[in-house]
Amino acid sequence: MTENKILIIDDDQHLLLALTARLKAKNYRVICAADAISAITVARREVPDLVILDLGLPAGDGFRVLERMRDLTDLVAIPVIVLSARDPADNRKRALDAGAVAFFQKPPDNHEFLSAIRHALGETVALSTFLRT
Amino acid sequence: MTAKASPRVDASEDLPSASLILSPRDSGRLRESFDMVTSATLQGQLLDFSAWSEILTTYGRTMKVAVALTDSQGQILGKCHNAQPVWQLVHDAARSWGSGCPFCLTTHVPCTAVAEALQTGGAVMVRDQAGLTHVAVPLLLGKLRFGAIIAGQVFDRYPDPLLLRRVAKEFGVSAQRLWELAREQRPVSDAILQASGDLLCALGNAFLRQRYGAILEAKLAETNGRFRLLVEGVRDHALFTMDPTGRVTSWNGGAERLLGYVEAEIVGQNFSCIFTGEDIQNHVPEKQLNQAMEEGRAENEGWRVRGNRNRFWANVNITAVENAGLARGFAIIVHDVTEQRKVATVLEEARQERECLQEKLISHVSHELRTPLTAIYLFTTNLLDGVFGDLTPDQHEHLTFALDNVKQLKSMVGDLLDITRVETHKLTVDPQHLSLAKLIDDVLSTCLTNAAVKNITLRSDVAPGVPFIWADPARVRQILINLIDNGIKFASAGGNVTVATRPAENEGFLCLSVSDTGCGISRENREIVFDRLSQVRSTAEASRTGLGLGLFISRELVSLHGGRIWVESELGHGSIFCFTLPVFSLAKLCAHVLTATNLEAGCVALIAVEVAAVEGAVQADLLLEIRKVLERCIRPGLDVLLPSMSDAQPVGTFFIVACTDDKGFEVIASRLVRELQNFDSASKLKPVISSTTSLLAPGPFGEEQIADVAARVEQLVQTHLLGKERLK
Repeated sequence: MTENKILIIDDDQHLLLALTARLKAKNYRVICAADAISAITVARREVPDLVILDLGLPAGDGFRVLERMRDLTDLVAIPVIVLSARDPADNRKRALDAGAVAFFQKPPDNHEFLSAIRHALGETVALSTFLRT
Repeated sequence: MTAKASPRVDASEDLPSASLILSPRDSGRLRESFDMVTSATLQGQLLDFSAWSEILTTYGRTMKVAVALTDSQGQILGKCHNAQPVWQLVHDAARSWGSGCPFCLTTHVPCTAVAEALQTGGAVMVRDQAGLTHVAVPLLLGKLRFGAIIAGQVFDRYPDPLLLRRVAKEFGVSAQRLWELAREQRPVSDAILQASGDLLCALGNAFLRQRYGAILEAKLAETNGRFRLLVEGVRDHALFTMDPTGRVTSWNGGAERLLGYVEAEIVGQNFSCIFTGEDIQNHVPEKQLNQAMEEGRAENEGWRVRGNRNRFWANVNITAVENAGLARGFAIIVHDVTEQRKVATVLEEARQERECLQEKLISHVSHELRTPLTAIYLFTTNLLDGVFGDLTPDQHEHLTFALDNVKQLKSMVGDLLDITRVETHKLTVDPQHLSLAKLIDDVLSTCLTNAAVKNITLRSDVAPGVPFIWADPARVRQILINLIDNGIKFASAGGNVTVATRPAENEGFLCLSVSDTGCGISRENREIVFDRLSQVRSTAEASRTGLGLGLFISRELVSLHGGRIWVESELGHGSIFCFTLPVFSLAKLCAHVLTATNLEAGCVALIAVEVAAVEGAVQADLLLEIRKVLERCIRPGLDVLLPSMSDAQPVGTFFIVACTDDKGFEVIASRLVRELQNFDSASKLKPVISSTTSLLAPGPFGEEQIADVAARVEQLVQTHLLGKERLK
């Protein structure tokens, strides 16, 4: 099985650096985008298996990215995990309603976060396998 | 020698203080009691001689007698119609009056006429040793003795020269002069005197009563006048009265000023004219009068209208004025509180703005803190987890400490946000069906690192078969972690922290406890330990960590679940923090479906949705997705998708308690099948949908039967009997 490709969209360079290192160590291929506009461009070019999305982004809100992804047929099936410093009380439901598969508040618990990533990737595999057979 | 005259004066029942029962014989006590109940002023006014003189003079002149008025002690208050100059002469000459009675001229024995008249309540005629006769009549109001009138002649026959001389000598006046005066006196016989005594009695008492009435009237008028002045003097409140139908009957100056109508134009009008058109349409005036009529008073605030149609915000008090249970009308006080309301509104807005700003500030701060915190956390965990290779034991230890601090900081940021939510009442819980056994194990493993530092053993003492609870898992986690961390902080090294469950005293609740083997908490600290920012300084471990908000937030969270939290402790013997959470109740969850009406109409069904894959087992993740699909299918507010009521791995059977009958079931079943097929376009999922209404015994349904149905549903679900029995 090929390595899963994960796109991290976040404007915090240190977070990108640290998360990339962690995910690479888990044998994922990681690509990054630091603003809302390039996020869509990179996503369409690379078609990642999973997107990790921050909500507060330059040049547009994370929710806009989520909506845009749901409008584009090539991106609609890609699972998105929201990772934001924002209050989950106000944002979790909104993010899930907008099509995210999970919401994590920063800083996330590593174990839970990584298992959610596995889950999100595994789920797509399982469903697609399921639907293919 | 005494002779009694009749009739007695009857006590009149409608006079004041008539209820005072006195023994007429006990004149000493009588006087005392009288003094107690009647003010000296009233006595003075009643027996004011200037008021009496006219009637007494007329009487004396007509009857050819002298008349004197005395108080209840026999003291002369005044005398009149000196028809008998001789009497005047001796009276004026006398320095001391032995008998105390001006009519007893020739004796020093005290005259008992007044006392006797007061005691018997009738006219008493007395003849002194000199053969002189006078009559005393009592003045009575009810049973109260006010005084007496004495009437008589000094001489009742042609003067006896010897007697005259004796009198003249005794009183030191000229015998010659006395003789001249006495010769002109005309006699009055005893019989006439006695008859006139009765007349005097009737006359005197009639006048006394009239006088009493006049005094009361004057007093009432004075009080009314004062009250009116007072009412008129109230300028900033409108005071007015109404008859039972709501028509204005009086109107004060304040009302004129505040409401803009003068008394002449408003009296007789209905008070609804001060209400807004909208209120009148909604029958608010009538409603308020009805409320006042029923409850005695009604207070409310709202817009009212002045004569010039301007509105003002009024505080209105309506009091029903009653007499013997019959409504006689209403008294209304209206106060213009427009300014106060403005101030209150401005204050409230300022408060809300401040709260809003505070919330924004804290959520901003929390957000800004989280970003660098995340970076530190990720870098630290990357190093610790060996992303960049192995660490030396020292490096590992130091990084672990760094990570502990990051976690502490993280929970403080969380607390900060929670505390703002408490203040703005935005702290909420999202309860669900929850298995405690799993949750507690999970929490304990989280706290393990922390406990290991102090070599503290964490124990779980959860009874098997502990009921499911109805709570927010994240919040229960938070409460438990707070309490366990607290326990670890205060337990001495090598001690224990134990999480246990037991039934709570309150039915429908489960009690969770976290006990430690620490230093305990003193009585006074036990009361403040849950207060905000209270941090009990431990003698053993004087370290202050955290914001001191954990227990406060825990208390708020527990109370949001409807439970309560407390601490049992003794200094030196550790502490037990206990809190209660509601037990999951299927009956409560389905209360809106399992109603007597629904059950009697036979429109409650338990629907089972079994999902099996054509090949192999259905994966747990897929089951979660299917649950989401089903959640979208059911009609919110009508049907309930039951939580997975088993601790075991998720199974492919879902249960719905639906508000439907057999016909409705077909519709729901076809919708469920359609949705599941849409979800799984390849049709590899095989949903089997069955329903049962057999859990319904024939009605009628009381609370007990409903509880039985709920228990039966729960049993069916728990044992998955439904799927096996295939009830249809």
